[in-house]
Amino acid sequence: MVLNPMHQFEVYKIGPEINIGGINLSFTNASFFMAISAILILSLLFFGTKKKSLIPSKIQLITEMSYALIAKMINDTAGSSAKAFFPFVFTLFMFVLFCNMVGMLPYSFTVTSQIIVTFVLAATIFIGVTIIGFIKHGIKYLELFVPKGVPIVLLPLIIVIEIISYLARPVSLSVRLFANMLAGHTMLKVFGGFVISLGLLGGWLPLSFAVALTGLEILVAFLQAYVFAILTCIYLNDALNLHH
Amino acid sequence: MKDFKEISTRLKIAKKNVREIEEKNRGSNATSLGKALKISTELVAAVVVGSTIGFLLDNWFDTKPLLTICFFIIGVAAGILNVFRSAKKMQKKL
Repeated sequence: MVLNPMHQFEVYKIGPEINIGGINLSFTNASFFMAISAILILSLLFFGTKKKSLIPSKIQLITEMSYALIAKMINDTAGSSAKAFFPFVFTLFMFVLFCNMVGMLPYSFTVTSQIIVTFVLAATIFIGVTIIGFIKHGIKYLELFVPKGVPIVLLPLIIVIEIISYLARPVSLSVRLFANMLAGHTMLKVFGGFVISLGLLGGWLPLSFAVALTGLEILVAFLQAYVFAILTCIYLNDALNLHH
Repeated sequence: MKDFKEISTRLKIAKKNVREIEEKNRGSNATSLGKALKISTELVAAVVVGSTIGFLLDNWFDTKPLLTICFFIIGVAAGILNVFRSAKKMQKKL
């Protein structure tokens, strides 16, 4: 049971079952670790900005670096008109990053390895960006689906292709994060299982692999949060500035 | 007053140097790995979305399996278009 590599992704409820209007709203281990990540982010930002010294302490440095990273990212990819969306992108980045990183701790649960979590995040971005595009450009936002310089004969086909490629955005955004976290954690567990089953004699090779993979997983955890945020910026850019 | 001017010119030169180093380093760090991971899912997602739309329309109009096949092919086209676009965007940045 413990050696099963998929066992770590099981969602179970903590405490009493809560049913409101036929919807199961029980507090699960997933919600518990989401709450932990949120509290960690809040405390990091709180303690990081508490003492604003000229020579920053380590915690203040981390806070300022994360701020600068996202501010630069928005400026580079979406332009200065997207500055208003800084809080949203920053929250998104920090939440995904902390969920990934908390998942790297032993005995913890990786929230982002559940497709429903990543899909809800991606769908929120997708719907929000679409609404922003329509508010900003009105009906002209539909021009996104009509590339310039296409013969009229091909237009019906091209429009269908463009709509499908637009609808594929939330799917690719959510599947990327989910698949990376799921695959990485499964692989770590499989190598961990090898260490146990090969014992003291042959277990050293998979153990060294597991150590190396842990380093790789930490890199992937950061990278996926970064990619998630940068794609949000790219989609925002499409909605705000409307050109390919 | 003279000192102040000198400091401001030196600051300008230093800032310019920093900017040049930043320009040089762009794209050489971990973000390129992120881009590589990004492209791989883009192709698959469009195919899945296209096939799903075809399957739903098939169930609606009772034309199995005609529309699924058509939309699968259109989904592949959309996926290739997506990959092509992000590759183009990357080239522009370099």
